[in-house]
Amino acid sequence: MPTTRRAIRESSPLHWGIRTMGVAAIAFIAIYLASTAKPSTLGNITEACTLAIAAVGLNLLFGFNGQISIGHSTFAGLAAFTAGYTVNAWEWNPYVSLVVGLILCFLLGLALGLPALRLKGPYLALVTLAVAFVWPTIAAKFLDQKVKASTLKGTKLEPLSWTGLSVKGKDARLDKAIFLYWAAIVILVVSYVIVRNLRKSRIGRALVAVRDNETAAAVMGVNLKLTKTVTFGISAAIAGASGWITAARLATMDETTFTILSSIKYLLALFLGGAATLVGPIVGAFAYFFVDDYLKEHAPEWDWLPGPLSKGPVASFLLGVLVIAFVFVAPFGIVGFVKDQVRKVFVIAPRPLRPAPSTAEQAMPTTEEPRPADQGPETQGRVDT
Amino acid sequence: MGHLLQYILNGLSKGSIYALIALGLVVIYRGTAHLNFAQGEMALFATFGAWWINDHGVPLWISIALAAIFAFVGGGVIEFGLIRPAGKKSPFAVIVVTIGLFQAMNSLSGLLFENAGTGLPFGSLFPNKPDDFWRISGSTVWRYQNIGVLVTVLVITGLLFALFQKTKIGLAMRMVANNPDSAKLSGVSVSRILMLSWALSAAIGAVGGGLVAGVNTNVNLATMFGVFLLASAAATLGGLDSPLGAIVGGLSLGVVESLVQNYPKDWPASDYIGADTAVAVAFLIILVVLLVKPAGLFGSSRVERV
Repeated sequence: MPTTRRAIRESSPLHWGIRTMGVAAIAFIAIYLASTAKPSTLGNITEACTLAIAAVGLNLLFGFNGQISIGHSTFAGLAAFTAGYTVNAWEWNPYVSLVVGLILCFLLGLALGLPALRLKGPYLALVTLAVAFVWPTIAAKFLDQKVKASTLKGTKLEPLSWTGLSVKGKDARLDKAIFLYWAAIVILVVSYVIVRNLRKSRIGRALVAVRDNETAAAVMGVNLKLTKTVTFGISAAIAGASGWITAARLATMDETTFTILSSIKYLLALFLGGAATLVGPIVGAFAYFFVDDYLKEHAPEWDWLPGPLSKGPVASFLLGVLVIAFVFVAPFGIVGFVKDQVRKVFVIAPRPLRPAPSTAEQAMPTTEEPRPADQGPETQGRVDT
Repeated sequence: MGHLLQYILNGLSKGSIYALIALGLVVIYRGTAHLNFAQGEMALFATFGAWWINDHGVPLWISIALAAIFAFVGGGVIEFGLIRPAGKKSPFAVIVVTIGLFQAMNSLSGLLFENAGTGLPFGSLFPNKPDDFWRISGSTVWRYQNIGVLVTVLVITGLLFALFQKTKIGLAMRMVANNPDSAKLSGVSVSRILMLSWALSAAIGAVGGGLVAGVNTNVNLATMFGVFLLASAAATLGGLDSPLGAIVGGLSLGVVESLVQNYPKDWPASDYIGADTAVAVAFLIILVVLLVKPAGLFGSSRVERV
């Protein structure tokens, strides 16, 4: 280790200062955008947030617990359809529908977590893929039977009165966009905090232990069944929250709103940002969404592209190529890449361990685990907020 | 019950296509333990290639064969140029690369071939006039097309099994599937075998794509997506590392799909189970099978050493 690298002590005033400034900068950008941006920009950010929420949920399951799921679009779809149906047909309060949707997603997640106990790796991937494949046919059936139409209306979420945003009038469109924007950000932050706190707690250590070696985790006393199914449930519920935002954002939904392609998008966002890091899925979702958006808008106009590439679905092709190229540049995602670069300048040194008891009589099992100096890609995001 | 045989015959031919694509997945999985999410789209690209060759006046069968050769080379190049280097980077990298390939291949087909989105006309590979069938008994008929697809798949499968069981290359492939480290120590070039697996899998996919397009008499950007998903389900059912499993899984999935599509018409529950939910029912059955045998019907379950 070169001595020129600065070490920042974890939880030292400097470390806290950097973290506070990072959070403040993000909060400032969020407020600045809300007060200046156009409704379409806000809508884009809201959509990126829904992607980020789902990716955060998937990260808990795949990144930290090692269970891959290509079926998370189903949970988003279930919550979105629950909200759309209960609000429109039964005139429920949208927030009640959110809670009910989350509970349903949690239960479905638990149910899907049960076969996941027996299935490993690619088998689980393919079973969840099958679930995502089946969802549109069930959704279409539901629309046929219950709504008697090919689409389901969104929840038409209106700004709450205490926010001071207008429901009617000339600013209604902008104000609604602002409200949705904040709703999405609040849900994103809440999901992030849930996953972060889980990860940093005893449960999080159990999750990672199960991911790294199930047998060893079981031997150490981790309840495999409970851990894996409940993780699946929580992850599903977070994906459901993303679906609820989608239901509030869209005027109408149909069976094609949540397909396997959405699930693949969640996975890509997670991988591009950095799986098994806390902020990775959020960074990845925003990067993926805005690169995709930029390419869709501008790529068809690029004249310098050779022959056949100058027309047709060029944006989608370039995105695929970019994704492949990106993997070679940053195999552990954006966060992994940034951390590698930052580590060249300074390192975050762990807190010193509690001093050991002086005599043998006082020796108690220490509750604080020693933190390995270099946890590789698993290192928690501390400076990158 | 009079239609039972008819439904089974139709299902067998549909299932044989799933079996073929599933076989491609299995060939790759045995070597590298990777799922190739781009399997369907690679096949799609090759099928467009076959259409293009056919469009230039080459007979359809020969164009599919040429496309399969092209796919063979392409598959090897993809393994060598993308998959192998990605595999050295991180465990997620290969998944991401295959997903990226999935997207890139699909849109590349859309870019290179005009009107690919709406569909290009593809000739039928087998005689398929209204009276081209073999009457088995009464109203039960076996269409030449269904026979042709099934026989083609069985012939290709037979050739593959001969390759696996009777040749030196096949022996090396089985060694790599069984234990790559020991294979390497015995002097097998593991990397070359993996490259061959990808090449072989891509070529199998190209033939499968040609069969699908021939049955639909059309090839468009969405042709292979559903087929790939069902094929991957078939491979899961049979066991991802078992070629025999892929065949059995594919055929049985096709038959189950065909039965569920046709039978419950007169049942009281027909509002809920019917043609459009056949796939859902098929997947439910697969799930139940996997609960009993988590590594698929013929897959080898790995024993964990503690």
